[in-house]
Amino acid sequence: MTKRPDAIEVEGRVVECLRSAMFTVELENGHKVLAHISGKMRKNYIRILPEDRVLVELTPYDLTRGRITFRYRN
Amino acid sequence: MNTKPFASRPSGRTVLVARVADGLWHALEDDLVVGRGHVGRRPDGRLFVSIDAWHDAAFDRLAEAMLAALPAPLYTLVDEADAELASRWQHVGFTVRRREWDLTVPTDPSSTGLEAILPPPGVTVVPVGEADEGLLRALDRAIREEVGAGPGWQSMPAEVLSRPEGVTIVDPSRYAVAAAPDRYLGLVRLVTATRQPRIGLIAVRADQQRRGIARALLAHVLGTLNDRGIAAASAEVDESNEAALALFEGIGSRRMSRNLELAR
Repeated sequence: MTKRPDAIEVEGRVVECLRSAMFTVELENGHKVLAHISGKMRKNYIRILPEDRVLVELTPYDLTRGRITFRYRN
Repeated sequence: MNTKPFASRPSGRTVLVARVADGLWHALEDDLVVGRGHVGRRPDGRLFVSIDAWHDAAFDRLAEAMLAALPAPLYTLVDEADAELASRWQHVGFTVRRREWDLTVPTDPSSTGLEAILPPPGVTVVPVGEADEGLLRALDRAIREEVGAGPGWQSMPAEVLSRPEGVTIVDPSRYAVAAAPDRYLGLVRLVTATRQPRIGLIAVRADQQRRGIARALLAHVLGTLNDRGIAAASAEVDESNEAALALFEGIGSRRMSRNLELAR
């Protein structure tokens, strides 16, 4: 089974941690998206804090929402 | 690798699921990956699963395939505020096993009130990385046996549960301990690899509790972090562990979020 590249992955910076397990992430192009942390990161107790550089996977259905899949070491 | 597709059409969607690697499943729709499932084994031997999907149909198909392929019991972790995800897991048979608070712990002595806290007479604090490994392992075994004899065993976090080979301390360099002349009395495990260090475990022998040893250990490790310019650490505390919550909140820790551990 072959798969073409699917999700749009972009780097960004966490600007706000929201109360509802969501984060506001400012992308490199200046756009802000609402993102939640991936389940894989959560079960590994990886924390996201403001100013963290992260990799965000944008949903193909709504480009204003995404999922944080990686946190870069600062 | 199992590439046999797992197809169904709920809600008008055609979603295929394939196990693409050891511990990794993909959900595909119109040749797009619309969901991923992971499984990993914790050091205590438990299998934790996670699913990241863009819609409910992808979640359900991934769950169906993963649960059919993996042995029970399975565990997952969800932020309680993410009610939609918790509901999806409960829909496929998971139930809440325990809840834990995610705390932010200040390090500044003016916030913690620990500036003048010293260990009780006859007790010294051995800094992180300087503990004798043999005495540390003996302390760890003793504490685990005490916890195992009490009612809290099944709800303790991963750090305290038995590991498959009986190995309970992976990295002795991460522990500070409270020491008497002949044995160790209490320990705190600190992970400093991240920007916000994590207090993974704090425990004191049963016959040495209520002497201020845990507060002295916290005073030491938090003071050390503060001296290094680190403003806060994190900790997870089971919501049923009232003593630990009182200890952390008594030094100014704030409840940030609550995690649900679900099991099936």
